[in-house]
Amino acid sequence: MNIVIPIKQVPETSNVKMDEETGTMKREGVESIINPLDLYAIETGIQLKEEYGGKITVITMGPPSADKALKEAIAMGCDDGILLSGREFAGSDTWATSYALSEAIREIGDFDLILAGERATDGDTGQVGPGIASWLDLTLSTYTSKVVDLNLVEDEEVNYTNVEQDSIIVERMVEDGYEKLELPLPALLTVVKEISFPRLPTLRGKQRSRKVEIPQWNLGNLDLNQEYLGLQGSPTRVVNIDHPKVTRGGTIIDVREDGKVEEAVSKLIDYLKAKELV
Amino acid sequence: MKYNPVTEEILAELREIVGEKNVMTDEEKIEAYSHDETPAEQYGHMPEVVLTPNTAEEIAAVMKLANRELIPVTPSGARSGLSGGAIPDHGGIVVSVENMDEVIEIDYDNLMMVLEPGVITNSVNEMLEESGLFFAGYPMSVETCFLGGNIAENAGGGKAVKYGVTGRYVMGLEVVTPTGDIVQLGGKRVKDVTGYDLKQLIVGSEGTLGIVTKAIIKLLPKPTQRVGLLALFKDEATAISTVPKIMTEGRIIPTSIEFMDKLSVKTSCEYLNEHLPYQEAGAMLLIEVDGNKEDVVNADSETIGELCLDNDAIEVYVADNHTTRERIWSVRRNIAEAFKVVSPHQSLEDIVVPTANIPKLMPYLDEISEKYEIKVPCYGHAGDGNLHATLVKNPDHSMEKWFEIEEKALEDLYRATKELGGTLSGEHGIGSKRKKYMEMMLDPAELNLMRGIKKAFDPNNIMNPGKIFDLE
Repeated sequence: MNIVIPIKQVPETSNVKMDEETGTMKREGVESIINPLDLYAIETGIQLKEEYGGKITVITMGPPSADKALKEAIAMGCDDGILLSGREFAGSDTWATSYALSEAIREIGDFDLILAGERATDGDTGQVGPGIASWLDLTLSTYTSKVVDLNLVEDEEVNYTNVEQDSIIVERMVEDGYEKLELPLPALLTVVKEISFPRLPTLRGKQRSRKVEIPQWNLGNLDLNQEYLGLQGSPTRVVNIDHPKVTRGGTIIDVREDGKVEEAVSKLIDYLKAKELV
Repeated sequence: MKYNPVTEEILAELREIVGEKNVMTDEEKIEAYSHDETPAEQYGHMPEVVLTPNTAEEIAAVMKLANRELIPVTPSGARSGLSGGAIPDHGGIVVSVENMDEVIEIDYDNLMMVLEPGVITNSVNEMLEESGLFFAGYPMSVETCFLGGNIAENAGGGKAVKYGVTGRYVMGLEVVTPTGDIVQLGGKRVKDVTGYDLKQLIVGSEGTLGIVTKAIIKLLPKPTQRVGLLALFKDEATAISTVPKIMTEGRIIPTSIEFMDKLSVKTSCEYLNEHLPYQEAGAMLLIEVDGNKEDVVNADSETIGELCLDNDAIEVYVADNHTTRERIWSVRRNIAEAFKVVSPHQSLEDIVVPTANIPKLMPYLDEISEKYEIKVPCYGHAGDGNLHATLVKNPDHSMEKWFEIEEKALEDLYRATKELGGTLSGEHGIGSKRKKYMEMMLDPAELNLMRGIKKAFDPNNIMNPGKIFDLE
């Protein structure tokens, strides 16, 4: 059971400062972390590995410093890391990113399952996972909340179906409940938080991750169509960044101004009555 | 001591001094000033009037008036205290410094900052964020508490192992004395032996010797790297025996060494829905190191981690980024909150013992737990021996029974603490909550010296009377 997990490094957003002129996030001095939902993909992968064996390769596209995210994943229990890094990838949108990642995964070759976080906290599109599935022509389950079972052909005890192919049975969240799917392997799952609870990296894991060499892949060692890469290869265009207008103004009845609580309360009651709310 | 009530005439005079809008008598508004983080039904007391002055001169005038009329004055900050220090036990006037929240100066040349007492401690470091400097005072209530309160209580916190407590960073104070003088103590001087160190006497005096109206604090270069370790041990003794080795064998002074016993970890993890393998662990240590070089900090954390494993740690987790650091720290930070869900009534204690004696304290806690049928979780700052053993009311007990148990159990706890060379409070203070145990803990001669100091500062005993000890 070999698993590939594409992950993304995102800015840590609990204390974000915005540039008021451009409306974009100030990135200087902001720490980079593994996209929180990707941690759930990593945990799911490790649990599957613990049960069925095999190995896990994490892959990311980003600047050279993104190897830190790969090392963190390895410290949690993944085996190998691959870093897609080079100027040719800069400015890639979800289409170009999923193309580059899918080609790298094709190069890795021997895999049964791809696990990805449902979306990244910075882009918030949820498109890269399904994009990879599409480029590689894999079966796909988005919003996966549970791995029910693996149905391996050589494993006779667990054979639910007559499908002569390895498959995975999962539950995914849909608007009014859950949907159970059986997907022939290799497949791609994008996962939501319900699927697992990420473990913390251990000291031994950290020590191991420090020793793991992370190869850097780019145009030099991957057979990629350059026209599909980077800003020029990205069909997405940011035409304008707009801020939603606040259309509802609040009314504040300030006790400190009115002096008496009773008066403020009666003002509030009058207001609610006028709006026919009481 | 018999104090006089705040009459209409006095109110008029107070309005004259601090301005109409800075005088509150409306019961709903002043109720907030009747309690701190100690249980209100046990320790709360209503003030007669709350003032929110804007200057030291106004406070000085209030003190002169209070002396003339014999009205008690209680200084008040953010009221996040845990010993009842800001509660007006005798009614009278509460002087809240909430309006005095100016940052007067950031002195980059001397690495100091001049602030008013109502500045929220956390905002000091937010302001300094881009300067590469920081204020090392770090109480656990950092997001709500005021600097003035930190100074009055000599607040400690989770970083005291390496950085010490608030007092270490107080370079100078402007203080309004109980008799209404404004004095400047200390200053932007690293060395100063010109007479008694009154500044340090004010630090930790719990608002009984004066009201801080301005403070000069020392800043440090801010470390850029932090790595946290969470080590699981089979029992408390194993965990605690690791603590001195970190410093003696590892030759490393960590920023924090926090201890959590099994009950604390379990309750907090359940509260947070955190899936750490806590069922296997009898105790945990949360250790953090900081510095400016990534490889040095990593090497230090590895040395400590190896020491923990050599010392039979079941597992050591490493948290070197925001996500993981927040995860392990939130387990520690949420313990008190988690127990409030179990039972809203508890006595949060603050004993301090010599670090090596922490394991010896544990059997006493078990004994108290069994004897009174209450839960006694223990967590705190293992690096400095300051433990927040907490008596949690058994939900099956009536309130009367709880009050009865609390008093007896506290006496047992303090007696054991004293036997082990410890004392009542490491960072929360005495206030009104622990006052009755002072005679048991301190020598009469020492207590009398303290009383003498109080009388010298406050001959009419009007400033925060009834706190720490009684005069008679």
